[in-house]
Amino acid sequence: MSLYFGIPILLLAAVLQSVWLENIQVLGGRPDLVLLLAVTWGIIRGANEGAVWGFVGGIFCDLLSGGEFGMWTFALTAVGFLAGQTWVHALGPTLIRLALMSALGTLIGHGILLGTMAVLGYSVNVGQSVQKVAGPAALLNFLLSPFAFTFLVWFHRRSQPRWGGAGL
Amino acid sequence: MRRESGPWLPWVLLGVALLFLALIEAGVFSPLESLLGYIISPVERGISTIIERLGGLGQTTREVRQLQQQVEELQQVNATLIQENFRLREFKAENEELRRKLNFVQDNPTYSYVGADVVEYGCGIFSCATVVGKDTNPYLQYIIINAGSRDGVAVGMPVVTSGAAMVGRIARVSRNLAYVQLINNPQSQVAAMLQESRVSGVLIGTPEGGLSMIDILPDEKVEGGETVMTSAVGGLLPRGLILGQVESVTYLESDLFQRAVVRPAIDFRRLETVLVITDFPRVNLEEIEQGP
Repeated sequence: MSLYFGIPILLLAAVLQSVWLENIQVLGGRPDLVLLLAVTWGIIRGANEGAVWGFVGGIFCDLLSGGEFGMWTFALTAVGFLAGQTWVHALGPTLIRLALMSALGTLIGHGILLGTMAVLGYSVNVGQSVQKVAGPAALLNFLLSPFAFTFLVWFHRRSQPRWGGAGL
Repeated sequence: MRRESGPWLPWVLLGVALLFLALIEAGVFSPLESLLGYIISPVERGISTIIERLGGLGQTTREVRQLQQQVEELQQVNATLIQENFRLREFKAENEELRRKLNFVQDNPTYSYVGADVVEYGCGIFSCATVVGKDTNPYLQYIIINAGSRDGVAVGMPVVTSGAAMVGRIARVSRNLAYVQLINNPQSQVAAMLQESRVSGVLIGTPEGGLSMIDILPDEKVEGGETVMTSAVGGLLPRGLILGQVESVTYLESDLFQRAVVRPAIDFRRLETVLVITDFPRVNLEEIEQGP
């Protein structure tokens, strides 16, 4: 089961996001490591596993957030699920669709996060959020997606049963 | 044979995530959240320590260390001077206010008076903590500190840094960690007053991560550069914690109140250690109502 190594990877990613990446500003923003991993795993292993990784990663992110518990869990589960949909295969070869889906998934994930925040009564400035946070994050996740892919494919090959499993 | 989970699984997980949100809103999720936080906090503290040590590896030469030491000493001296300066200005403002009151008493000799403070405050009992992480949600301004319920930290306690500058308030606590809602969080509201003019208002965070002082009465005269501090109205915070400095004031005739843009007293991105005020003398409203 992919979660045997998925849980420590996602936990480590969430903690790194909180203690390290939050202090790093690249192109005015910062990458979303956990979101990137959930999207990549969804593309590699399909919608179900993408959703599971999004769910687990979301729980860790929620634990490291002062906001309402469940905001990240909901957003990342949805993004992991979307990344594993069959229509994503129409976006092109694996690396291209991975890069495109990383950027698109980041924008969708942030959109869901902002939508949830708005429903919960937070004041949300959509234009500024897209310009200063979601946009740079999508670009950075787009650039980092080949690294995440290489890293997770290595685990995928070790966790996949020899007689079957989802193809890339 | 490999067992495939059904197509319903993602929908169940999405439903569970929504259930989390609903349970949090209903206030019945805290025990499970605390348990999960208990698991994650040692991991976060460990990684935070490793990153801190790795960050220091590059600065190993003697000169760099000496310079670092000097900078730290100067920063400490600077913080002490800022605090002293603030206190002197506070005494000056208080003195002027008392003089005005005295003039009023002298002008109205037939009145009877009883002197009183709005809210009493004094030395607090502090709990020192290190900032170990920041919020994973980029739209919220929270920091995570390595002091939790086992250190006596509880929700609502004010958090300060050097120079009596207010950082925020404790929003959530687990056993080992606490989540501090920074004053520039859009959900944050702090009863504030201006040090020189004694004008009161409410300091709020903006979605852009800045500060604004709202609810300033239209006839009040507010100057740029005035220090904004906590007013202690409501009794939730001690009086006199520095919040920032007025940059500009706007007032549209269609608005009921003036609004000031406030420059924060601290750089929220560079917080390393903070103090949690776990207790401070408060006014007992029941005693006041009952009288002597």
